[in-house]
Amino acid sequence: MGLKTKNILLALLMAGALLAGFLCCLLLPDREFSQSERRKLASMPELSAENLLSGAFAEDFETYVQDQFPLREGFRGLKALTETYALGKLDNNGLYLAEGHLSKLDYPLNEKMLDHAAERFRYLYDTYLAGKDMNIYLAVIPDKNVFLAGPSGRLSYDYEALVSAVREKADYMEYIDLLSVLSLEDYYRTDSHWRQERLLPVAERLAGAMGVELPQAEYKENSLGTPFYGVYSGQSALPVSPDTLVYLTCDAMDGCTVTGYGSGKAEALPMYDMDKGQGRDPYELFLSGAQPVIIIENPKAETGRELIIFRDSYASSLAPLLAGAYAKITLVDIRYVQSAALDRFVDFGAQDVLFLYSSTLLNNSLALR
Amino acid sequence: MLFSSLSFLYYFLPCVLILYFLAPKKWKNSVLLLSSLFFYAWGEPKYVLLMLLAILCGYLFALLIARYRGRRLSRLFLLLSVSISAAILGFFKYADFFIQNFNAVTGLSIPLLKIALPIGISFYTFQLISYTVDVYRGVPAQRSFIDLAAYISLFPQLIAGPIVRYSQIAEQLSSRRHSWDKAALGIRRFTLGLGKKVLIANAMGQLCEIFRASQDKSVLFFWLYAIANMLHIYFDFSGYSDMAIGLGKLFGFDFPENFNYPYISRSVTEFWRRWHISLGSWFRDYVYIPMGGNRVSKPRWLLNILVVWLLTGFWHGAAWNFLVWGLFFAVFLILEKLWLLRRLEKAPVLGRVYVLFTVMLSFIIFSAENMGQALSSLGSLFGAGGLPLLSAEFLYYLKSYALLLLIGVIGATPLPKVLLQRLGGSPGGEKLRNLLELPALLLILALSTAYLVDGSFNPFLYFRF
Repeated sequence: MGLKTKNILLALLMAGALLAGFLCCLLLPDREFSQSERRKLASMPELSAENLLSGAFAEDFETYVQDQFPLREGFRGLKALTETYALGKLDNNGLYLAEGHLSKLDYPLNEKMLDHAAERFRYLYDTYLAGKDMNIYLAVIPDKNVFLAGPSGRLSYDYEALVSAVREKADYMEYIDLLSVLSLEDYYRTDSHWRQERLLPVAERLAGAMGVELPQAEYKENSLGTPFYGVYSGQSALPVSPDTLVYLTCDAMDGCTVTGYGSGKAEALPMYDMDKGQGRDPYELFLSGAQPVIIIENPKAETGRELIIFRDSYASSLAPLLAGAYAKITLVDIRYVQSAALDRFVDFGAQDVLFLYSSTLLNNSLALR
Repeated sequence: MLFSSLSFLYYFLPCVLILYFLAPKKWKNSVLLLSSLFFYAWGEPKYVLLMLLAILCGYLFALLIARYRGRRLSRLFLLLSVSISAAILGFFKYADFFIQNFNAVTGLSIPLLKIALPIGISFYTFQLISYTVDVYRGVPAQRSFIDLAAYISLFPQLIAGPIVRYSQIAEQLSSRRHSWDKAALGIRRFTLGLGKKVLIANAMGQLCEIFRASQDKSVLFFWLYAIANMLHIYFDFSGYSDMAIGLGKLFGFDFPENFNYPYISRSVTEFWRRWHISLGSWFRDYVYIPMGGNRVSKPRWLLNILVVWLLTGFWHGAAWNFLVWGLFFAVFLILEKLWLLRRLEKAPVLGRVYVLFTVMLSFIIFSAENMGQALSSLGSLFGAGGLPLLSAEFLYYLKSYALLLLIGVIGATPLPKVLLQRLGGSPGGEKLRNLLELPALLLILALSTAYLVDGSFNPFLYFRF
């Protein structure tokens, strides 16, 4: 090939690539939602004189093009592969792959966030719990970074330091250690959460510490049936094999009723929501995902004891395993309901109270209201 | 609009290329002018009028200068023209700096004007000044307003240079050659510049941002920052210049080179012959030489150097750290001219180490938010402030960015170019090079697109220029 031909080919192909991109941008329909990133995508900004003159249109247009760019998923994957494998970066946008697990850096230890969480806990204690005949417990769920980040050379904080700081600030609670009953294998490879089928030792540890006994039940492992691509799978854009989502059932759970207050009014919910299992976040199968208040009632319970769990999403898969030991479990997520409004949903009396939070949430507690 | 944005690459550029190459020859400059105004107005519509007004002044005064050539009026019009350009720059860029310092000295509290700096103002006012001065010196004035406005506002060089002088492209404005060879050369250069900016400079910039936000600083982390900062500024600026030169070639122009591997220099004097060449030569030709250059008494010569470098520093931003940055170089340039240069010539390795070290320190001053921060960072490099030698974050980011740092260091030298030339030296090698060139360029474009789609860190360094 002569130099002239080569230059013509080069100019035409490179300009053609830009032109093809332009035509695809123009002709392909816009998408509303990114399933892999689990977020709404930007739409074409409003064209108005005000927007144009302020420069807002230009800024929003760039975001729109980024979100709607043709083959967006492929380009995100190309970048993730380049960063991870070609350049040897230890994380890509804070996400990393180690020992077959995807995870997200949670660093450094944020004292202000711990203070905020402790302040919210103190408010709940002072407002609803103090002076009542209640046993109050605290359990910190180690995020999977605790098992993965340090050993794989990623930035990590001292989990024990986090626990010590929270315990010190919440000295009115009795601490239950969970670290010793968990390991990396107890977490999904592509998601932040723990796997329900591996949580019986955790449930036993909690029940034992709170002085209740879990019924001797034979749990049946049920598989969701469709591949489970966890939250980190889409965010990282790396090609990883999916997890299998397994949920446990037993006779003790059969008679339980679940009531949620997601819409503000009482609403019957399934323990395992199969529709949500096929939805955007299959982990929402457990107790239907984000809900401000959920009540699990167990008419077959051998005692009349009740439990209130102040919690984050990790408790959704754990609470069904505790249902056999309590007549009523109330799960409260103060990310979705103001702490000050809780007495509209919960009668605080003589229950056991468990503050069950993941280390990630405590270190990023701004959402606690 | 930024070259390193999806809206530029996949909307603006294809549209302009189509319009430009479909337009008949006599309309090409009009297409370029309208495209450039759209490019400029995209993020900052209100300042288009200011730029057009400045161009109109330059256009009219140049005609008057040419008309009264050889007469005193010509000089007067030159003075007026230069004063207007300088006043526009002074008002929009430096007013608040002077008010702030005046308030600090007098204790008054004159309110600040808080004017947003029009992007590219330092570049286009300098081009206008050079245009009217060149006309005064004998270059024919441009009769077509469209051609002059197309030159001043030409989008490839409007917001980050190089500072293209009118005399350098006067002929090309009216008659320029387009060819496949030139287009291929332009696309090649543009794509390499895009890769330098998006794949290397942005990553180095991100490392600098991580460092600035870190609560786990250490002495070696400061060194890592200093090196990343050097690479960031070089790859960002030279990448932008490559893109500008490449785009220029696509539209038939030959812009001057702006960077020539500055980090291999053996003296600061040489560094400034290789770094932002168009700015250095602008100050040489329009400030230093008119002041007498080195053909004056020694004290006056040293004063000339000092003034030029204070102005060079101040051109980069209206803040004390930029003035100190210019002064910093003035000191080294004077030292070199007085006695250091001859010694450095005898010790090239030492010279290179000295340049890298000096430039590294200078860019810490350059990138600081204020002088207090600059001094504190300089001190921390040498252990001041009781910092530990190492920190966990330093080790993590050193490991994470090691390969990119290595690529950056090698890419800042002529080594890749030399290797490619050697590869092309043999028939087989040339064939291989030809075969790999297009896939390599497509890969750079795809990777740059991927990084932009992912919303990676993509700063614009020239907002203070």
